[in-house]
Amino acid sequence: MQRAGPPVLECTALRKRFGDLLAVDGVGFTIAGGETYGLLGPNGAGKTTTISMVCGLLERDGGTVTVAGRPMTTRSVEAKAAIGYIPQELAIYPDLTARENLAFFARLYGLPRAAVSTRVAEVLDVIGLADRAGDRASEFSGGMKRRLNIGIGLLHRPRLLVLDEPTAGVDPQSRNSILGSIEELSDSGMAVLYTTHYMEEAERLCDRVGIIDGGQLKAEGTRRELVALVGETDRVRLSAAGELEAGLAACLVLPSVREASRHDDGLDLLVDGAAAALPGLLAALGAAGVTVRSVDVAEPNLEAVFLHLTGRALRD
Amino acid sequence: MKALAIARTNVRRLFRERSTIFFVFVLPMLIILLLGATFGGGLTPRVGVVATGVGELGEQLVEAIAGGGDLEVVRYDSREALGPAVERGRVDAGLELPANYDRTVRSGGEAVLRFLARPDQLGPQLRAAVAAAAAGQAAELRAARFTVAETGSGFDEALARARMVAVAIPSISVEETTAGEALLPRDLGTFDLGASQQLLLFVFLTSLTGASALMETRRLGISRRMLSTPTSGWTILIGEALGRFGVALVQGVFILVGTLLAFRVDWGDPLGAAAVLVAFCLVGSGAGMLLGATFRSEQQAISVSLLAGLGLAALGGSMVPLEVFPRAVRDVAHVTPHAWGNDAFAELVRRGGGIEDILLELGVLLALAALLLALAAWRLRRAITR
Ligand SMILES: Nc1ncnc2c1ncn2[C@@H]1O[C@H](COP(=O)(O)OP(=O)(O)OP(=O)(O)O)[C@@H](O)[C@H]1O
Ligand SMILES: [Mg+2]
Repeated sequence: MQRAGPPVLECTALRKRFGDLLAVDGVGFTIAGGETYGLLGPNGAGKTTTISMVCGLLERDGGTVTVAGRPMTTRSVEAKAAIGYIPQELAIYPDLTARENLAFFARLYGLPRAAVSTRVAEVLDVIGLADRAGDRASEFSGGMKRRLNIGIGLLHRPRLLVLDEPTAGVDPQSRNSILGSIEELSDSGMAVLYTTHYMEEAERLCDRVGIIDGGQLKAEGTRRELVALVGETDRVRLSAAGELEAGLAACLVLPSVREASRHDDGLDLLVDGAAAALPGLLAALGAAGVTVRSVDVAEPNLEAVFLHLTGRALRD
Repeated sequence: MKALAIARTNVRRLFRERSTIFFVFVLPMLIILLLGATFGGGLTPRVGVVATGVGELGEQLVEAIAGGGDLEVVRYDSREALGPAVERGRVDAGLELPANYDRTVRSGGEAVLRFLARPDQLGPQLRAAVAAAAAGQAAELRAARFTVAETGSGFDEALARARMVAVAIPSISVEETTAGEALLPRDLGTFDLGASQQLLLFVFLTSLTGASALMETRRLGISRRMLSTPTSGWTILIGEALGRFGVALVQGVFILVGTLLAFRVDWGDPLGAAAVLVAFCLVGSGAGMLLGATFRSEQQAISVSLLAGLGLAALGGSMVPLEVFPRAVRDVAHVTPHAWGNDAFAELVRRGGGIEDILLELGVLLALAALLLALAAWRLRRAITR
């Protein structure tokens, strides 16, 4: 769901050089109020570097960042108040309890002293750590530490939540709960900037996705827009028996079939507009003596888009 | 105030470590006891004396040296016997009076005392005690000679009268002593000087532990995260500095009050002493922050802190009194905060000064603290945002 409103974040032509390496090269994007924007890219693409400049944590070599209408620099205080930044690496005191960690950062986010304990209790509920609030963070499981790490960024109800790979190294169950919380926050109207190298997360959470590689934004748009870049080619996987060689030949003469290959117990095809082409395809296969047991149609996904744009897989 | 929240968290975390209890409470207590044992009269230093045929005045000087009970005098027959005794540590120092001492000083001549010390901390202090005794006698003799010249009375009579006056008006004899050749005033307990130096040495080391604390928050990614909140780099630094500053200050006050109550150590004007302590802890915290913001590993920060803490203390007169250094070294020593701190305490303790007499020293210390903190804030921001 895309939301309207004035942009919460606007950044243009961001550039950062580390020695000889141009880590971020002309990245720019805009996030509207309540919108969830994903930066999808492989390791070393420049996601963390971009986010660090957005949050005023890294001096930039070029470009502008405006958060909630205020310019962001490493010295900005007002612009930072609008952001809840959740770093990729855990940044919590291991020797303090969950409650103490939250209360400490609540003060730094400028919550009045009287409001701290109520808000901390609310956040403990949101991140599901209410019953462990008095335990030291060092005693937490990896997933619990991650959730505490996230909770800190929620304390001041930021207009923009910035999460840098919040699910890295997390078990599936915790990941699911983290993604669920982010969806809820987004539904409550918070804008989100989310980096990941998991295609599924970007697809599930994000209204719009920017595909980043080698420090450059390669493409940007809704999932549908991005997928359109690849064209309407679907991947069709048939599990079948019978005259597979003959079936393969029969498929390849059909105009909608781009590619076809055999595998152990069936055929893999790349088909333009699979939904329309499927009846003709199945008829041709039947005529060639192939018995089709099941058909699996996969629409192109962001993984395919990334492959299309960069010639490389998103993950190795 | 956010800086206070940061400081409070810093201290709270410090006290989560069990070893802290030792470091913050037990160690200062040990230091108080140690100082007391070293300087507080539990151990009487021994001075070897060669004084054969030195006459009545010579014997009186030896008595004066042994007199306070602070020193034990051990007699030797000759210089040849005394030398090895000092070298081997059978006595802590040696003193040789010229054989014609009595005659020389009566006739107004110059008697040279040979003082032999071991190269340890006690040497200068013993020398001071000896010099003080000699200066005391010299003052009486000068007064007597003056009387002889003015009134034409006999020397012994005049000397006796001079002594009566000295007893009746002790302030005169004190004045004479400090103006004379004595390094340190005779009424200064050796403990007092040692204590203020040790105090500065210790609280400086404590405030420097801020370095490794800051390194740790940096390593945990928390300094960076703090900077992502609406909190300025300056506030973050002040907060981190304030935590260890507070601990060092509490320890300093603890040692101050502890030694005062248990060993009756005179720290001079309480307001002045407190001001020096505060300024000095600020310098230490500033130095700690600068180290913590500059170094890349905690190990590095810890070893450099220790080196800096001990090295500056040594140069700044916290191990050997500055007074025993040549003038040039003393000037150079004033690049260290310790030299200024020790100067301030010397003013308070020895010359009975008040806070208004140490404004220069306080000003230098505070300016140094401000400079160190500003540099540290700049380094910290750089370390995070580059
Ligand atoms: N402080 C630094 N000094 C030098 N090079 C750096 C620094 N930080 C990042 N880089 C380099 O910049 C590039 C981009 O790094 P960045 O951390 O932004 O990638 P990323 O997309 O966040 O990767 P990941 O998914 O692994 O977190 C990498 O090649 C990285 O090695
Ligand atoms: Mg990263």
